[in-house]
Amino acid sequence: MAKGRVSIVVERCKACGFCVEFCPTHVLALSSAFNSKGYHPPHVVHPEKCSGCDLCGMYCPDFAIYGTKVKEEKAAQAVGGRK
Amino acid sequence: MKADPRGVLTGTHFLDGDHACCEGALAAGARFAAGYPITPSTEVVERFAARVPTVGGCFIQMEDELAASIALQGGVWGGAKAFTVTSGPGFSLMMEHIGYAAMTETPCVFVDVQRGGPSTGLPTLPAQADMMQARWGSHGDYEVIALCPNSPQECFDLTIKAFNFAEEYRVPVMFMMDEVVGHMTEKVVIPPANEIEVVPRKHTKKSVEDYLPYGTNGDMVPEMAHAGEGYNFHVTGLTHDEKGYPNMTPSVQDKLVRRLQNKIRLAEDRICLFEEDRLDDAEVVVVSYGITSRVAQRAIDAARNRGLKVGKLRLITAWPFPEKKIKELAANVKAFVVPELNLGQMVREVARAADGKAKTYAVSHAGGGVHNPDEILNAIVEASRC
Repeated sequence: MAKGRVSIVVERCKACGFCVEFCPTHVLALSSAFNSKGYHPPHVVHPEKCSGCDLCGMYCPDFAIYGTKVKEEKAAQAVGGRK
Repeated sequence: MKADPRGVLTGTHFLDGDHACCEGALAAGARFAAGYPITPSTEVVERFAARVPTVGGCFIQMEDELAASIALQGGVWGGAKAFTVTSGPGFSLMMEHIGYAAMTETPCVFVDVQRGGPSTGLPTLPAQADMMQARWGSHGDYEVIALCPNSPQECFDLTIKAFNFAEEYRVPVMFMMDEVVGHMTEKVVIPPANEIEVVPRKHTKKSVEDYLPYGTNGDMVPEMAHAGEGYNFHVTGLTHDEKGYPNMTPSVQDKLVRRLQNKIRLAEDRICLFEEDRLDDAEVVVVSYGITSRVAQRAIDAARNRGLKVGKLRLITAWPFPEKKIKELAANVKAFVVPELNLGQMVREVARAADGKAKTYAVSHAGGGVHNPDEILNAIVEASRC
Protein backbone atom coordinates (compact mmCIF):
# COMPACT_ATOMS: atom_id res chain seq x y z
CA MET A 1 0.00 0.00 0.00
CA ALA A 2 1.33 3.42 -0.93
CA LYS A 3 2.59 5.59 1.90
CA GLY A 4 2.91 8.60 -0.32
CA ARG A 5 1.85 10.24 -3.50
CA VAL A 6 3.51 12.32 -6.16
CA SER A 7 2.22 15.62 -7.46
CA ILE A 8 3.58 16.85 -10.79
CA VAL A 9 3.40 20.41 -12.11
CA VAL A 10 3.66 19.44 -15.76
CA GLU A 11 4.09 22.97 -17.12
CA ARG A 12 7.31 23.50 -15.12
CA CYS A 13 8.91 20.28 -16.34
CA LYS A 14 11.75 20.20 -18.87
CA ALA A 15 11.96 16.38 -18.93
CA CYS A 16 15.49 16.06 -17.52
CA GLY A 17 14.48 12.66 -16.13
CA PHE A 18 16.22 13.04 -12.76
CA CYS A 19 13.09 12.05 -10.86
CA VAL A 20 12.62 8.95 -13.02
CA GLU A 21 16.28 7.94 -12.62
CA PHE A 22 16.63 8.59 -8.89
CA CYS A 23 13.27 7.37 -7.53
CA PRO A 24 14.32 4.54 -5.18
CA THR A 25 11.11 2.58 -5.78
CA HIS A 26 10.76 3.28 -9.54
CA VAL A 27 7.39 4.95 -9.31
CA LEU A 28 7.84 7.23 -12.33
CA ALA A 29 8.40 7.13 -16.08
CA LEU A 30 8.52 9.87 -18.71
CA SER A 31 5.15 10.00 -20.42
CA SER A 32 4.42 10.34 -24.10
CA ALA A 33 2.28 13.42 -23.42
CA PHE A 34 3.55 16.92 -24.17
CA ASN A 35 3.42 20.03 -22.03
CA SER A 36 2.98 23.40 -23.71
CA LYS A 37 6.76 23.77 -24.14
CA GLY A 38 6.93 20.45 -25.93
CA TYR A 39 8.54 18.40 -23.18
CA HIS A 40 7.45 14.97 -21.96
CA PRO A 41 6.74 15.31 -18.23
CA PRO A 42 6.90 12.24 -15.99
CA HIS A 43 3.83 10.31 -14.97
CA VAL A 44 3.18 7.85 -12.18
CA VAL A 45 3.37 4.23 -13.33
CA HIS A 46 3.53 2.48 -9.96
CA PRO A 47 1.58 4.63 -7.50
CA GLU A 48 1.41 1.78 -4.96
CA LYS A 49 5.20 1.84 -4.55
CA CYS A 50 5.49 5.52 -3.57
CA SER A 51 6.91 5.96 -0.07
CA GLY A 52 6.45 9.73 -0.04
CA CYS A 53 10.19 10.27 0.53
CA ASP A 54 10.27 13.36 -1.73
CA LEU A 55 13.70 12.55 -3.21
CA CYS A 56 12.11 13.48 -6.57
CA GLY A 57 11.31 16.88 -5.10
CA MET A 58 14.85 17.32 -3.78
CA TYR A 59 16.38 16.50 -7.14
CA CYS A 60 14.01 18.41 -9.39
CA PRO A 61 15.82 21.52 -10.69
CA ASP A 62 12.51 23.15 -11.60
CA PHE A 63 10.28 22.53 -8.57
CA ALA A 64 8.01 20.56 -10.85
CA ILE A 65 7.43 17.50 -8.67
CA TYR A 66 6.62 16.90 -5.04
CA GLY A 67 6.39 13.74 -2.98
CA THR A 68 4.17 13.82 0.07
CA LYS A 69 3.37 11.35 2.81
CA VAL A 70 -0.27 10.31 3.06
CA LYS A 71 -2.14 9.22 6.13
CA GLU A 72 -3.13 5.54 6.37
CA GLU A 73 -6.84 6.05 5.76
CA LYS A 74 -6.13 8.15 2.69
CA ALA A 75 -3.57 5.70 1.31
CA ALA A 76 -6.17 3.54 -0.36
CA GLN A 77 -7.54 6.52 -2.21
CA ALA A 78 -4.04 7.56 -3.29
CA VAL A 79 -3.52 4.18 -4.90
CA GLY A 80 -6.65 4.75 -6.88
CA GLY A 81 -5.13 8.03 -8.07
CA ARG A 82 -8.22 10.04 -7.13
CA LYS A 83 -7.67 13.64 -6.17
CA MET B 1 49.69 3.63 -5.18
CA LYS B 2 52.35 5.56 -7.08
CA ALA B 3 51.81 8.89 -8.83
CA ASP B 4 50.71 9.05 -12.46
CA PRO B 5 53.98 9.94 -14.28
CA ARG B 6 52.13 12.27 -16.67
CA GLY B 7 51.60 14.80 -13.89
CA VAL B 8 55.09 14.61 -12.41
CA LEU B 9 57.68 17.08 -13.64
CA THR B 10 60.67 15.11 -12.34
CA GLY B 11 63.86 17.11 -11.95
CA THR B 12 65.53 19.92 -10.06
CA HIS B 13 63.75 23.23 -10.50
CA PHE B 14 63.96 26.84 -9.37
CA LEU B 15 60.34 27.54 -8.44
CA ASP B 16 58.32 29.85 -6.26
CA GLY B 17 56.01 28.38 -3.65
CA ASP B 18 52.87 28.95 -5.71
CA HIS B 19 54.28 27.11 -8.72
CA ALA B 20 55.62 24.33 -6.50
CA CYS B 21 52.14 23.96 -4.98
CA CYS B 22 50.70 23.59 -8.49
CA GLU B 23 53.26 20.90 -9.35
CA GLY B 24 52.43 19.15 -6.09
CA ALA B 25 48.74 19.13 -7.01
CA LEU B 26 49.48 17.71 -10.47
CA ALA B 27 51.77 15.06 -8.98
CA ALA B 28 49.08 14.14 -6.45
CA GLY B 29 46.67 13.53 -9.33
CA ALA B 30 44.60 16.72 -9.32
CA ARG B 31 42.99 17.05 -12.72
CA PHE B 32 40.45 19.74 -11.99
CA ALA B 33 40.61 23.13 -10.35
CA ALA B 34 38.04 25.87 -10.17
CA GLY B 35 39.13 29.26 -9.01
CA TYR B 36 38.64 32.96 -8.88
CA PRO B 37 42.29 34.02 -8.92
CA ILE B 38 43.42 36.42 -6.20
CA THR B 39 46.79 37.82 -5.21
CA PRO B 40 49.00 36.29 -3.85
CA SER B 41 47.67 32.89 -4.92
CA THR B 42 47.15 33.58 -8.64
CA GLU B 43 50.36 31.89 -9.82
CA VAL B 44 49.14 28.51 -8.60
CA VAL B 45 46.17 28.36 -10.95
CA GLU B 46 47.92 30.35 -13.66
CA ARG B 47 50.43 27.51 -13.94
CA PHE B 48 47.75 24.88 -13.43
CA ALA B 49 45.64 26.31 -16.29
CA ALA B 50 48.64 26.04 -18.60
CA ARG B 51 49.84 22.63 -17.43
CA VAL B 52 46.70 20.61 -16.81
CA PRO B 53 45.46 20.32 -20.43
CA THR B 54 48.74 18.51 -21.22
CA VAL B 55 47.90 15.80 -18.68
CA GLY B 56 44.19 15.48 -19.39
CA GLY B 57 42.33 17.80 -17.07
CA CYS B 58 40.91 21.29 -16.94
CA PHE B 59 40.76 24.53 -15.02
CA ILE B 60 37.67 26.71 -14.93
CA GLN B 61 37.77 30.33 -13.91
CA MET B 62 34.49 30.80 -12.08
CA GLU B 63 32.49 33.97 -11.50
CA ASP B 64 33.38 34.15 -7.82
CA GLU B 65 34.74 32.16 -4.88
CA LEU B 66 31.37 30.71 -3.96
CA ALA B 67 31.08 29.18 -7.41
CA ALA B 68 34.71 28.02 -7.38
CA SER B 69 34.44 26.30 -4.04
CA ILE B 70 31.32 24.36 -5.03
CA ALA B 71 32.40 23.61 -8.62
CA LEU B 72 35.45 21.81 -7.30
CA GLN B 73 33.17 19.61 -5.20
CA GLY B 74 31.14 18.79 -8.28
CA GLY B 75 34.42 17.73 -9.88
CA VAL B 76 35.20 15.48 -6.94
CA TRP B 77 31.78 13.77 -7.01
CA GLY B 78 32.32 13.32 -10.73
CA GLY B 79 35.48 11.36 -9.93
CA ALA B 80 38.33 13.90 -10.16
CA LYS B 81 40.79 15.01 -7.54
CA ALA B 82 40.21 18.72 -7.32
CA PHE B 83 41.26 21.86 -5.49
CA THR B 84 40.82 25.59 -5.41
CA VAL B 85 43.16 28.40 -4.56
CA THR B 86 42.47 31.67 -2.82
CA SER B 87 43.57 34.25 -0.28
CA GLY B 88 41.88 35.76 2.77
CA PRO B 89 38.93 37.63 1.18
CA GLY B 90 38.10 34.65 -1.04
CA PHE B 91 38.64 32.23 1.81
CA SER B 92 35.93 34.08 3.75
CA LEU B 93 33.51 33.59 0.84
CA MET B 94 34.36 29.89 0.60
CA MET B 95 33.46 29.14 4.20
CA GLU B 96 29.91 28.05 3.44
CA HIS B 97 31.16 25.40 1.03
CA ILE B 98 33.97 24.28 3.30
CA GLY B 99 31.22 23.34 5.74
CA TYR B 100 29.39 21.61 2.90
CA ALA B 101 32.54 19.62 2.04
CA ALA B 102 32.88 18.63 5.69
CA MET B 103 29.22 17.58 5.92
CA THR B 104 29.14 15.69 2.63
CA GLU B 105 32.64 14.28 3.25
CA THR B 106 33.98 15.51 -0.05
CA PRO B 107 37.75 14.99 -0.31
CA CYS B 108 39.22 18.25 -1.61
CA VAL B 109 41.96 20.78 -1.00
CA PHE B 110 41.57 24.51 -0.35
CA VAL B 111 44.82 26.43 -0.78
CA ASP B 112 44.89 29.73 1.12
CA VAL B 113 47.93 31.88 0.41
CA GLN B 114 47.52 34.21 3.36
CA ARG B 115 47.83 37.98 3.04
CA GLY B 116 47.25 40.81 5.47
CA GLY B 117 43.66 41.42 6.56
CA PRO B 118 40.96 41.99 7.64
CA SER B 119 39.02 42.63 4.43
CA THR B 120 41.12 43.66 1.42
CA GLY B 121 44.00 44.43 3.77
CA LEU B 122 47.42 43.94 2.22
CA PRO B 123 46.97 42.12 -1.10
CA THR B 124 50.67 41.69 -1.82
CA LEU B 125 52.05 41.27 1.70
CA PRO B 126 52.12 38.33 4.11
CA ALA B 127 50.17 37.41 7.22
CA GLN B 128 49.20 34.26 9.07
CA ALA B 129 45.93 35.56 10.36
CA ASP B 130 43.56 33.00 8.77
CA MET B 131 44.66 30.16 11.03
CA MET B 132 41.58 30.22 13.25
CA GLN B 133 39.31 30.84 10.27
CA ALA B 134 40.70 27.67 8.68
CA ARG B 135 39.58 25.74 11.72
CA TRP B 136 36.38 27.49 12.77
CA GLY B 137 35.29 29.58 9.77
CA SER B 138 32.22 27.59 8.77
CA HIS B 139 29.29 27.09 11.09
CA GLY B 140 28.55 23.95 13.04
CA ASP B 141 30.86 21.33 14.50
CA TYR B 142 33.34 19.84 12.08
CA GLU B 143 37.01 18.99 11.79
CA VAL B 144 39.49 19.78 9.07
CA ILE B 145 43.16 19.17 8.46
CA ALA B 146 45.41 22.20 7.88
CA LEU B 147 49.01 22.12 6.69
CA CYS B 148 51.59 24.93 6.87
CA PRO B 149 54.53 24.74 4.45
CA ASN B 150 57.60 26.91 5.09
CA SER B 151 59.43 26.60 1.77
CA PRO B 152 58.71 26.02 -1.93
CA GLN B 153 60.00 22.46 -1.52
CA GLU B 154 57.42 21.90 1.19
CA CYS B 155 54.75 23.55 -0.96
CA PHE B 156 55.39 20.66 -3.37
CA ASP B 157 55.74 17.87 -0.82
CA LEU B 158 52.90 18.91 1.46
CA THR B 159 50.43 19.58 -1.37
CA ILE B 160 50.74 15.88 -2.20
CA LYS B 161 50.25 15.11 1.48
CA ALA B 162 47.19 17.40 1.56
CA PHE B 163 45.54 15.47 -1.28
CA ASN B 164 46.45 12.19 0.40
CA PHE B 165 44.92 13.28 3.71
CA ALA B 166 41.80 14.48 1.89
CA GLU B 167 41.32 11.08 0.26
CA GLU B 168 42.16 9.08 3.35
CA TYR B 169 39.84 10.92 5.72
CA ARG B 170 37.37 12.45 3.26
CA VAL B 171 37.72 15.97 4.63
CA PRO B 172 38.45 19.35 3.11
CA VAL B 173 42.16 19.99 3.71
CA MET B 174 43.30 23.57 4.20
CA PHE B 175 46.69 24.33 2.71
CA MET B 176 47.79 27.39 4.66
CA MET B 177 50.58 29.10 2.77
CA ASP B 178 51.51 32.74 3.22
CA GLU B 179 52.54 35.40 0.74
CA VAL B 180 56.26 35.03 1.47
CA VAL B 181 56.31 31.26 1.06
CA GLY B 182 54.14 31.63 -2.05
CA HIS B 183 56.38 34.16 -3.74
CA MET B 184 59.85 33.09 -2.64
CA THR B 185 61.84 31.21 -5.25
CA GLU B 186 64.05 28.33 -4.18
CA LYS B 187 65.35 24.98 -5.33
CA VAL B 188 62.58 22.40 -5.60
CA VAL B 189 63.42 18.77 -6.26
CA ILE B 190 60.60 16.78 -7.83
CA PRO B 191 61.29 13.05 -7.51
CA PRO B 192 60.39 10.42 -10.11
CA ALA B 193 56.72 9.38 -10.14
CA ASN B 194 57.51 5.94 -8.75
CA GLU B 195 58.86 7.53 -5.57
CA ILE B 196 55.71 9.59 -4.91
CA GLU B 197 53.09 7.87 -2.79
CA VAL B 198 49.54 8.83 -3.74
CA VAL B 199 46.40 7.73 -1.87
CA PRO B 200 43.72 6.66 -4.36
CA ARG B 201 40.06 7.43 -3.80
CA LYS B 202 38.36 5.07 -1.40
CA HIS B 203 36.00 3.72 -4.04
CA THR B 204 33.35 1.19 -3.12
CA LYS B 205 33.51 -2.40 -4.33
CA LYS B 206 29.94 -3.05 -3.25
CA SER B 207 27.06 -3.57 -5.66
CA VAL B 208 24.48 -0.87 -6.28
CA GLU B 209 22.03 -2.75 -4.04
CA ASP B 210 24.41 -3.12 -1.08
CA TYR B 211 26.09 0.26 -1.21
CA LEU B 212 25.37 2.76 1.56
CA PRO B 213 26.91 6.15 0.67
CA TYR B 214 27.46 7.08 4.32
CA GLY B 215 27.74 3.64 5.83
CA THR B 216 31.00 2.85 7.61
CA ASN B 217 32.77 -0.30 8.71
CA GLY B 218 34.64 0.62 11.85
CA ASP B 219 37.13 3.10 10.41
CA MET B 220 34.58 5.93 10.28
CA VAL B 221 35.37 6.96 6.69
CA PRO B 222 32.70 5.87 4.18
CA GLU B 223 33.47 4.63 0.69
CA MET B 224 32.67 6.73 -2.37
CA ALA B 225 30.90 6.13 -5.65
CA HIS B 226 30.81 8.62 -8.49
CA ALA B 227 28.03 10.23 -10.49
CA GLY B 228 27.20 8.20 -13.58
CA GLU B 229 28.18 4.81 -12.20
CA GLY B 230 24.63 3.78 -11.36
CA TYR B 231 24.94 4.32 -7.61
CA ASN B 232 22.04 6.73 -7.37
CA PHE B 233 21.99 8.57 -4.09
CA HIS B 234 21.51 11.99 -2.67
CA VAL B 235 24.42 14.19 -1.56
CA THR B 236 23.11 16.81 0.81
CA GLY B 237 24.27 19.31 3.38
CA LEU B 238 21.18 18.43 5.43
CA THR B 239 21.75 15.99 8.26
CA HIS B 240 21.56 12.61 6.57
CA ASP B 241 21.47 8.95 7.43
CA GLU B 242 23.69 6.19 6.02
CA LYS B 243 21.68 6.16 2.80
CA GLY B 244 22.36 9.87 2.32
CA TYR B 245 18.66 10.58 2.84
CA PRO B 246 17.85 13.71 4.89
CA ASN B 247 16.89 12.72 8.41
CA MET B 248 16.68 15.68 10.72
CA THR B 249 16.43 14.02 14.11
CA PRO B 250 18.66 14.55 17.15
CA SER B 251 19.82 10.92 17.11
CA VAL B 252 20.96 10.97 13.47
CA GLN B 253 22.57 14.40 13.98
CA ASP B 254 24.44 13.12 17.02
CA LYS B 255 25.73 10.05 15.23
CA LEU B 256 26.76 11.93 12.09
CA VAL B 257 28.40 14.98 13.65
CA ARG B 258 30.28 12.94 16.24
CA ARG B 259 31.62 10.71 13.49
CA LEU B 260 32.72 13.77 11.45
CA GLN B 261 34.69 14.94 14.49
CA ASN B 262 36.01 11.62 15.65
CA LYS B 263 37.31 10.46 12.29
CA ILE B 264 39.92 13.23 12.65
CA ARG B 265 40.26 13.52 16.43
CA LEU B 266 40.86 9.83 16.99
CA ALA B 267 43.40 9.78 14.16
CA GLU B 268 45.31 12.78 15.56
CA ASP B 269 48.46 10.74 16.21
CA ARG B 270 48.56 9.56 12.62
CA ILE B 271 47.85 12.99 11.14
CA CYS B 272 49.90 15.41 13.29
CA LEU B 273 53.19 16.38 11.72
CA PHE B 274 55.78 18.57 13.37
CA GLU B 275 59.49 19.17 13.27
CA GLU B 276 61.44 19.30 16.50
CA ASP B 277 64.99 20.32 17.26
CA ARG B 278 67.05 20.54 20.46
CA LEU B 279 64.06 19.85 22.72
CA ASP B 280 65.96 17.38 24.95
CA ASP B 281 67.44 19.96 27.29
CA ALA B 282 65.19 22.88 26.35
CA GLU B 283 63.76 25.22 28.96
CA VAL B 284 62.09 27.42 26.37
CA VAL B 285 60.39 26.11 23.24
CA VAL B 286 59.69 28.29 20.22
CA VAL B 287 56.49 27.11 18.55
CA SER B 288 56.13 28.43 15.02
CA TYR B 289 54.84 27.56 11.57
CA GLY B 290 55.06 28.71 7.96
CA ILE B 291 57.47 31.50 7.08
CA THR B 292 57.74 32.56 10.74
CA SER B 293 59.49 29.28 11.54
CA ARG B 294 62.39 30.32 9.32
CA VAL B 295 62.72 33.69 11.02
CA ALA B 296 62.46 31.95 14.38
CA GLN B 297 65.31 29.62 13.40
CA ARG B 298 67.72 32.55 13.37
CA ALA B 299 66.53 33.68 16.79
CA ILE B 300 66.87 30.15 18.17
CA ASP B 301 70.42 29.82 16.83
CA ALA B 302 71.35 33.22 18.31
CA ALA B 303 69.87 32.24 21.69
CA ARG B 304 71.77 28.94 21.70
CA ASN B 305 74.98 30.87 20.95
CA ARG B 306 74.28 32.88 24.10
CA GLY B 307 73.94 29.65 26.03
CA LEU B 308 70.16 29.76 26.43
CA LYS B 309 68.46 26.37 26.46
CA VAL B 310 65.96 26.84 23.70
CA GLY B 311 64.39 24.32 21.38
CA LYS B 312 62.19 24.38 18.31
CA LEU B 313 58.80 22.91 17.61
CA ARG B 314 57.56 23.66 14.11
CA LEU B 315 53.95 22.88 13.37
CA ILE B 316 53.50 21.27 9.96
CA THR B 317 49.87 20.43 10.68
CA ALA B 318 48.24 23.31 12.51
CA TRP B 319 44.95 21.39 12.60
CA PRO B 320 44.48 18.98 14.19
CA PHE B 321 46.62 20.81 16.73
CA PRO B 322 49.36 18.61 18.27
CA GLU B 323 47.91 18.98 21.72
CA LYS B 324 49.55 15.88 23.18
CA LYS B 325 53.00 17.07 22.14
CA ILE B 326 52.49 20.48 23.78
CA LYS B 327 51.12 18.85 26.96
CA GLU B 328 54.12 16.55 27.10
CA LEU B 329 56.54 19.47 26.66
CA ALA B 330 54.66 21.72 29.10
CA ALA B 331 55.50 19.29 31.91
CA ASN B 332 59.23 19.72 31.28
CA VAL B 333 59.81 23.27 30.05
CA LYS B 334 59.48 26.72 31.58
CA ALA B 335 57.84 28.52 28.70
CA PHE B 336 56.65 28.55 25.12
CA VAL B 337 57.38 31.45 22.77
CA VAL B 338 54.95 31.69 19.88
CA PRO B 339 55.81 34.11 17.08
CA GLU B 340 53.19 34.43 14.36
CA LEU B 341 52.07 36.98 11.79
CA ASN B 342 48.84 37.80 13.59
CA LEU B 343 47.85 39.31 16.89
CA GLY B 344 47.58 35.96 18.67
CA GLN B 345 45.86 32.91 17.20
CA MET B 346 47.77 29.62 17.51
CA VAL B 347 49.27 30.96 20.74
CA ARG B 348 45.85 30.48 22.31
CA GLU B 349 45.96 26.79 21.38
CA VAL B 350 49.45 26.50 22.85
CA ALA B 351 48.31 28.16 26.07
CA ARG B 352 45.23 25.94 26.25
CA ALA B 353 47.26 22.78 25.78
CA ALA B 354 49.97 23.96 28.22
CA ASP B 355 47.17 24.41 30.75
CA GLY B 356 49.19 26.62 33.10
CA LYS B 357 52.05 24.16 33.45
CA ALA B 358 54.32 26.40 31.36
CA LYS B 359 54.10 30.09 30.54
CA THR B 360 53.20 31.24 27.05
CA TYR B 361 54.68 34.29 25.34
CA ALA B 362 53.12 35.60 22.14
CA VAL B 363 55.31 37.50 19.70
CA SER B 364 52.66 39.11 17.58
CA HIS B 365 53.00 40.94 14.29
CA ALA B 366 50.08 42.49 12.41
CA GLY B 367 51.39 41.31 9.03
CA GLY B 368 52.82 43.09 6.03
CA GLY B 369 56.31 41.71 6.62
CA VAL B 370 58.03 39.12 8.73
CA HIS B 371 59.35 39.47 12.27
CA ASN B 372 62.70 40.96 13.03
CA PRO B 373 64.52 37.93 14.54
CA ASP B 374 65.59 40.16 17.46
CA GLU B 375 61.96 40.48 18.60
CA ILE B 376 61.77 36.71 18.90
CA LEU B 377 65.20 36.58 20.56
CA ASN B 378 64.09 39.16 23.14
CA ALA B 379 61.04 37.06 23.93
CA ILE B 380 63.23 33.97 24.33
CA VAL B 381 65.51 35.88 26.70
CA GLU B 382 62.53 37.13 28.71
CA ALA B 383 60.98 33.65 28.81
CA SER B 384 64.16 31.99 29.99
CA ARG B 385 64.32 34.39 32.96
CA CYS B 386 60.78 33.54 34.11
